[in-house]
Amino acid sequence: MTLFIQQLFDGLALGGVYCLAAIGLTLIFGVLRIPNLAHGTLYMLGAYVTYFFLVTVGVPYVAAIGLAAVVLAVIGVLLERVVFHPLRNAPHTHHMIAAVGAMFFFQAVAQAIWGADFRRMDSPISGSVTILGAQISWQRIVIVVTAVIVLGLLTWFIKRSIHGQTIEAIEQDRTGSSLVGISPSRVSMLTFGLAAALATVAAGLVAPINLLAPTMGDALSLKVFAIIILGGLGSLPGAIVGGFTLALAEVMTSTYVSAAAGEGIAFAVIVLVLAIRPTGLFARAVQR
Amino acid sequence: MLTVRGLSAGYDAVDVLHAVDVTARAGELTVVLGANGSGKTTMFRTISGILRPSAGSVEFDGTRLSGLPADGIVKAGLAHCPEGRHLFAKMPVEKNLLLGGYVRRRNRRRVHELLAHVYELFPVLHDKRHHPAGTLSGGQQQMVAIARALMSDPSLLILDEPSMGLAPLVTAQVLDAVAQINRDGIGVLLAEQNAQAALRIAHHGYVLAEGRVVLSGTATDLLDDPEVREAYLGV
Repeated sequence: MTLFIQQLFDGLALGGVYCLAAIGLTLIFGVLRIPNLAHGTLYMLGAYVTYFFLVTVGVPYVAAIGLAAVVLAVIGVLLERVVFHPLRNAPHTHHMIAAVGAMFFFQAVAQAIWGADFRRMDSPISGSVTILGAQISWQRIVIVVTAVIVLGLLTWFIKRSIHGQTIEAIEQDRTGSSLVGISPSRVSMLTFGLAAALATVAAGLVAPINLLAPTMGDALSLKVFAIIILGGLGSLPGAIVGGFTLALAEVMTSTYVSAAAGEGIAFAVIVLVLAIRPTGLFARAVQR
Repeated sequence: MLTVRGLSAGYDAVDVLHAVDVTARAGELTVVLGANGSGKTTMFRTISGILRPSAGSVEFDGTRLSGLPADGIVKAGLAHCPEGRHLFAKMPVEKNLLLGGYVRRRNRRRVHELLAHVYELFPVLHDKRHHPAGTLSGGQQQMVAIARALMSDPSLLILDEPSMGLAPLVTAQVLDAVAQINRDGIGVLLAEQNAQAALRIAHHGYVLAEGRVVLSGTATDLLDDPEVREAYLGV
């Protein structure tokens, strides 16, 4: 039982990280209808920039994540302007090729600045608390709480604020959006900025638990794609439910079956979803 | 006042609209008649900036619209209620309307005045304001589309076949609302299949065929014109 509770918390913490990373991907898919294959590298850069502010500059942990999120938001907007905007009328294969190019570019930049070796970012939050007999580290509690707060703010932004609503408007009807005067170009910049900032928050939260490496985004990239396929491409609740489901499945499988099975569960999920319900759990029209 | 001069436009380098001249005077209701495929929708889409013209110009109250982005055109006071409505189907009616006021978002008071006004014009939308727009009936969805366009506080409203696919009784209601909007002082440029009903509420009219203006005049002249009577009024 203690082991189960321990794993449950681990799963929730991982789920929070997955959600934050997956939401950006699903938003970009909803607005631009493209799979942003470079999303994992934005997450990786987010981790390194957080490391830079925390370790090299020496600002407090939360401020480091916040500053890194701002830096990555700018990088996200630049990525949209420089790489995706010029391709807006091109076939979708061009976007994918460009995204892979951006992915290699960002990895090379990270390697040039921080080297190819693993780096460690010590958790500034130490200690743990005993809940129902299980030792839960404060870091994991911080991850869950931050993820919930950020998800709440994001939902408010998208559902209630006029700028956030433009994201949903573009997703639902591009022509209708232009006709009310919403600029698709502004919305796609906003979406990329937001997606990169969210991925950075995810990376900054999990970095003290994992190690940093220029290739750390690759595994995450595959998992967040599994999550948004599970939840339904373009669906916000789908990304949240999918994120927690996949994380819990992963943690539980690693504990009760084997670590290798845990790593493989994401792919089993993709295969199952595509075979049984290809539109995902929260199917949202993805015609066109 | 909207002045369209020598406008040509089309899709994939093939023009479907050939050097069209159309004027919609301020505060008047101008109707554009024409069969399916005569270029009405293409003309409207070019005026509101969704399509780029291959030649010609569009001027609105002295401002050249060609080249302005879609939001600039809406800000200038020209609203387009498109064929097929293009609503945000999964959002509640009220959110659709508030997004219609997107370009006026800095003036909250005006947006709420406009909202109250469109609810007065279409009381049924007030009753359904929390329903997703896509769940409404065809006629009600058309009302949402017109109301959303009005939320941008336009001086000219472009309406592309608002009666398409609606029952005759609902068509009459929608056209009554259009006449009411025009009486409130908003200019209307209307494309309509139902020529007789449209000409009755219009001041001026144009007849388009194969992408060219073949006839134009006051609504009464067109109603009496033997060609129009034969081709569009079925008498």
